[in-house]
Amino acid sequence: MKLEYQPKVIGFLCNWCSYAGADMAGTSRMCYPQNIRIIRVPCSGRVDPLFVLKCFQRGADGVLISGCHPGDCHYTEGNYHTRRRFALLRDFLDYLGIAKERLRVEWVSASEGQRFAEILSDFTTELANLGPRSKV
Amino acid sequence: MDMELIQQIRDKARNLLEEGTVEGVIGYERASDGLTARPFFAYEPAAAERLIFDETCIHDLVKYLLDKKGKKMAIVVKPCDSRAINLLLNEEQIKRDKVFIIGVSCPGVVETSWNRRSETLQARCRTCQLSKPLVYDFLVGREVARQAEEETYSDITEAKAIANKEEFWLEQFGRCIRCYACRQVCPGCYCPVCFAERLEPLWVGIRIAPEENRVWQTMRTFHLAGRCIGCNECERVCPVDIPLSLLNRKLEKDVKELFAFQAGLDPEESPPFATFKKDEKLEFGA
Repeated sequence: MKLEYQPKVIGFLCNWCSYAGADMAGTSRMCYPQNIRIIRVPCSGRVDPLFVLKCFQRGADGVLISGCHPGDCHYTEGNYHTRRRFALLRDFLDYLGIAKERLRVEWVSASEGQRFAEILSDFTTELANLGPRSKV
Repeated sequence: MDMELIQQIRDKARNLLEEGTVEGVIGYERASDGLTARPFFAYEPAAAERLIFDETCIHDLVKYLLDKKGKKMAIVVKPCDSRAINLLLNEEQIKRDKVFIIGVSCPGVVETSWNRRSETLQARCRTCQLSKPLVYDFLVGREVARQAEEETYSDITEAKAIANKEEFWLEQFGRCIRCYACRQVCPGCYCPVCFAERLEPLWVGIRIAPEENRVWQTMRTFHLAGRCIGCNECERVCPVDIPLSLLNRKLEKDVKELFAFQAGLDPEESPPFATFKKDEKLEFGA
């Protein structure tokens, strides 16, 4: 039996938009890759860069952070902070040898189940193409 | 050694201690190797005679202000260190009226280690644009027009071009003994409980592994993003010579490019992670 490489994706989804978006994908019976392990957070601004680092250290192949579209944050401005933080972290991880493609930040609203499924398929395909993270 | 400058520092320190304006003066004295400098705390007027200043005074003394909160202290400050003062003022860690700043117009400092000093200036001094401290109460030394080299971040460009970056960095981090000297010396690291000391959850594991060290070093640097003032004390104190400036300067460069911000130049301006702009275009998302 051939075991195909299945990337492990950790998803931090904000309670108000993206988690509901993922739920919408589910209730609408859309198919999306099962590689994601979803962690619900109150706001994408809750995601500490430390969480991301810890995911990669413990063997995640990719990390998805998803929140409300800018301007739609339940807490008014949480996702603006997220945006700044991870714009910097992505490039920094790349500099340290963890390809920036492995960290994604996306905005998915509660009604965008379709978009959530598409992002996830796209991300999983990209990670599969990148292959497993090198064990140094 | 500029004796005139040293005399100015000593006179001012003695005056401040005699008048009781300050409880102590934080400065430099000659180390016991007779060549380099070490931090010195003068609490008696007579002790002011031990103060010195020359190109071996490499330490950033501002960190000590965090230990002397509530006490009025005077401190000898180079232009680069004055950025740390601005940082701590902005973050409300020190009060301006509790510090008397003896600013020094600094011609740059050299690399030193025990009984040894280099002839050339430190790399950070060669690109330093500041001829005098950004904030001071009393200025000593002659203000010299500086012929600063342009900051090109060529070291960062080189580090970016390393073929297997993960291997390179894990090799560097593999040496880390997590003595946390980099944190202890950093004027920007003052959390009462550092994430590295948290046990629940245990963010940085106890086991000796490059991956654990990587979590520590990456987060240490990231917590200083837009806050690092480039004093390079972390790299100086690192007992296993990890090129920490390559980490700090990478973020310094990115923050400059993305947010047009440099830490510690203005005490009124907050670091980029403390604020945001609604319509800014960053690499992902609208």
